[in-house]
Amino acid sequence: MSRWRSLCFEFSAMASPCSLQLDGQDERTMREAAAAAIAEVQRIEKKFSRYTDDSIVSRINHAAGKEAVDLDAETQGLLDFAHSLWALSGGLFDITSGVLRRVWDFKAGKLPEPDALQQVLTTIGWQHVQRQGNQVRLALPGMELDFGGFGKEYAVDRAAAVLLNHGIQHALVNLGGDLHALGERGLPDMRGAPWNVHIQHPRAPAAANTPPLAVLPLARGGLATSGDYERFFTVDGIRYCHVLNPHTGWPVSHWQSVTVLATNTTTAGALTTIAMLKGSEAIPWLEAQGVRYLAVQHDGRLLSQSPMDEHP
Amino acid sequence: MAVIDRMPMLITTSSSDKTQTATGVLLASLVLPGLAALAGMAPVAAAAESAPDKTTVSVKYGRYTDSQPGWDRVTVASPQVYVQAPIAGDWSLEATGVLDTVSGATPRWHTQHTPISGASQMNDQRRAGDVKVTRYFARAAVSVSVANSNENDYASHAAGLEARWSSEDNNRTWTVGLGLSNDSIDASKTGGSGPGGQKSTRDYQAGLTQVLTTHDIVQFNLTRSVGSGYFSDPYKTFDQRPDQRDAWIALARWNHYLEPFDAALRSSYRYYSDTFGVVSHTLGVDWVQSAGPWTITPGLRYYSQSAADFYVDPILNAQGQYDQIAVITRAVKRAGNNQSTDKRLAAFGAVTLTIKLAYAWSPDTDVDFKVETYRQTADWHLGGQGSPGLDPFRANFVQVGLTHRF
Repeated sequence: MSRWRSLCFEFSAMASPCSLQLDGQDERTMREAAAAAIAEVQRIEKKFSRYTDDSIVSRINHAAGKEAVDLDAETQGLLDFAHSLWALSGGLFDITSGVLRRVWDFKAGKLPEPDALQQVLTTIGWQHVQRQGNQVRLALPGMELDFGGFGKEYAVDRAAAVLLNHGIQHALVNLGGDLHALGERGLPDMRGAPWNVHIQHPRAPAAANTPPLAVLPLARGGLATSGDYERFFTVDGIRYCHVLNPHTGWPVSHWQSVTVLATNTTTAGALTTIAMLKGSEAIPWLEAQGVRYLAVQHDGRLLSQSPMDEHP
Repeated sequence: MAVIDRMPMLITTSSSDKTQTATGVLLASLVLPGLAALAGMAPVAAAAESAPDKTTVSVKYGRYTDSQPGWDRVTVASPQVYVQAPIAGDWSLEATGVLDTVSGATPRWHTQHTPISGASQMNDQRRAGDVKVTRYFARAAVSVSVANSNENDYASHAAGLEARWSSEDNNRTWTVGLGLSNDSIDASKTGGSGPGGQKSTRDYQAGLTQVLTTHDIVQFNLTRSVGSGYFSDPYKTFDQRPDQRDAWIALARWNHYLEPFDAALRSSYRYYSDTFGVVSHTLGVDWVQSAGPWTITPGLRYYSQSAADFYVDPILNAQGQYDQIAVITRAVKRAGNNQSTDKRLAAFGAVTLTIKLAYAWSPDTDVDFKVETYRQTADWHLGGQGSPGLDPFRANFVQVGLTHRF
C-alpha cells in the first residue's frame, strides 16, 4: 500500500505496440485499473473493427446502398464527431475515404490505375451518409465508413478515463504513439515532473539509435503525431504516403510530420490528420484551434506555435 | 539539434493555456463519452498538482460480541488509529494503536451455559501498538517492525524483519520475512489456577506474487513457525499442553478481475498443520464490486479444523447434559499428562459472512462500514461430525472507519 512505484503494462492493440505507465502507491488498484483500461481498448478495437463481420462498422458497411442501421449512443457520438470534423475541415477529414485503400496498395508499392481511382472516388463523401434519429444509412452502394482515422485516439482517451475512474492520478497511456497524460509523474523523486515524450524524426528510422526530433514534456492532455513516414512507397523519387486527400484521392506531401498537443488525444489526433491534409494552410488553422504543435515541413523546416502563445 | 534545445520551453502542458475555452475540434470531441470528464480534469495552473507526499490517517471503531445459546459472553470495543507517513522520500513509517475494552465472561469448561458456577467475570483493557519502518529501493523494500500488546495479565512483544523485491517487469515479487515474538501470561494476581509462564515463537516466511495476465494475480506464501514455552491456559484447571508448538502454514491467493462486471474476485486457501495435531483448512472468497464512488465487498469464509491430539471431549450424562463431576474426575485421573478442554482445540467448522461498504468521499477521503458474522459448530467440520457436545458459537463484529490522506 505504501511504496511509490511505477508500473508499466505493455500490450498490443490496434496493430500497434501499446503501453500504460502508472505511478502510484496502491499496486492492487493500479493493476486493476490497468486491466480495466486495457479491456476498454480491446472493447473499442473489437467494436469498431472493419475486420470482424459482426462489428457495428461492418454492419453499417454491409448495408451500404440498402437499409439503415440502428446505432448505440457511443457510435452516434463518434459519428457526430466525424461530422463535426468533416464540417470544420472543409470536407478534408472524411471517414468515408477509407475505400481508397482498395486502389492504393502500399505493400506492393504501385500507383493506382487512374480509372480505378476515379471509380473509387465516386463512393467517397460524408454528404452521402444519411443520419436520422438513432439510425445511419450509407446512401451509395460500395460506400464504407472507417473509424481508423480517430478510433485509436478515442481509445487512448477512453483508457485514460478508465484509469481516472479508478482513482489513478499519474499515468501515461500510449497506443502506438498516440498518448494521453493523466497528470504528471508521481514518484517521490520525480514528483510533478512531466512525462518525456520522444518525437520520432520523420526521416530517421525509429529502430536505429538516432536522436529524436524532440523530447516533449507532457504533464496532462493528449498528444498525437501524424507523418508521411508511417506507411509509404517511393516511385521515381517521389514519396507516396498513406495520408490521402479524399477529394483527389492522392497522398499529401506538404508535411513530413505534424505533432499536436490538445486537451484530449481524440482532438490532437484529428488535428494532426487535418493539418497534414490542409498542406500549406495548416498553420493558421492550427493557430485558430488554440493548440500547441510541432510540424516538420517537406523541406525539413520546423514550425511551432507563435512565441506569444507560449506559456509565460 | 538546436531545435531540441528550445523544445522544453516550447510545450509544457496543454493546460497551461490561459483559458480552457474549448474551440472547434476540442468542443466537438467533448460529445464523446468520458472525454468531458478528462477535459474537466485539466488544472488552470500546471503547478496545481504538485502535492507533497501524502500522509494517511485512519480512525476505526470496532465492536465485537460473541455468544452461545442463551448467553452473551464477551463484548470488545476497539477504537483504533493508524498513521502512515512518508519520511525523507525513501522511507516511510507506519504505526497503529488499539485500545480494546473487554467485558464479559469466559467459560472454564467446554461450553457451559451456567455462568454462575463456571464462568469467571472479566473486565479488561488491552493496549496494543505497532510501528513499522520501511526503506524503499529501486525495486525492493526492507521493513523492520516492532509490536507490543499489554493487558493486566498478558504481555506480548514482537519484532519483524521483511524484505521484498520485484522482477524487472514488476510482474513478480518475492518476499522473505522473519518474525520473533515473546509472550508472557501472569495469572497469579487474576485468579488463575496456575501462575502462567512465557513462550517464544519464531516465524520464517517466504512468498511469491506473480502477475499471470492483466486480469490475474496469484500469490503463494509458506511459513514455518517454531514455538516453545508455556502454551497452556492458566485459568483452566488441569489444562496442560506440550511446551513445543511448531507449525507449517501454506497460503495461496488468486485475484481475478472480471471485466464484464467491473469487479474483482479474491479467493484464498490456507493450510495449517501443527505439532499439537491441529490441521485446518480455510477457504475464502470475496467479491469486490465497485460502482462509482462505492465499493461493496461481500465475503464468505469457511474454516474447518481437526482436534488437537490431547483435546478431551466433554462427558455427557444419560440425559445428554454436561456432566461436570465426570469431567473433573477424568481430568484428575489424567493429571500430569497433556490434556485440554479448550474448545478452540476441538474439531469444528465455521463460516464467516462479511459485507463491507466503502464510499470514496473524495480521492483522499473515504469512509467504510463493515459487518461480520461468525458461526462455529461441530456439525460443519470438514468430512463429517466434529467434536461432540459443543454448543454452537456465534460472534458479530461491526466496524466503522474514516481514512484521510493529506
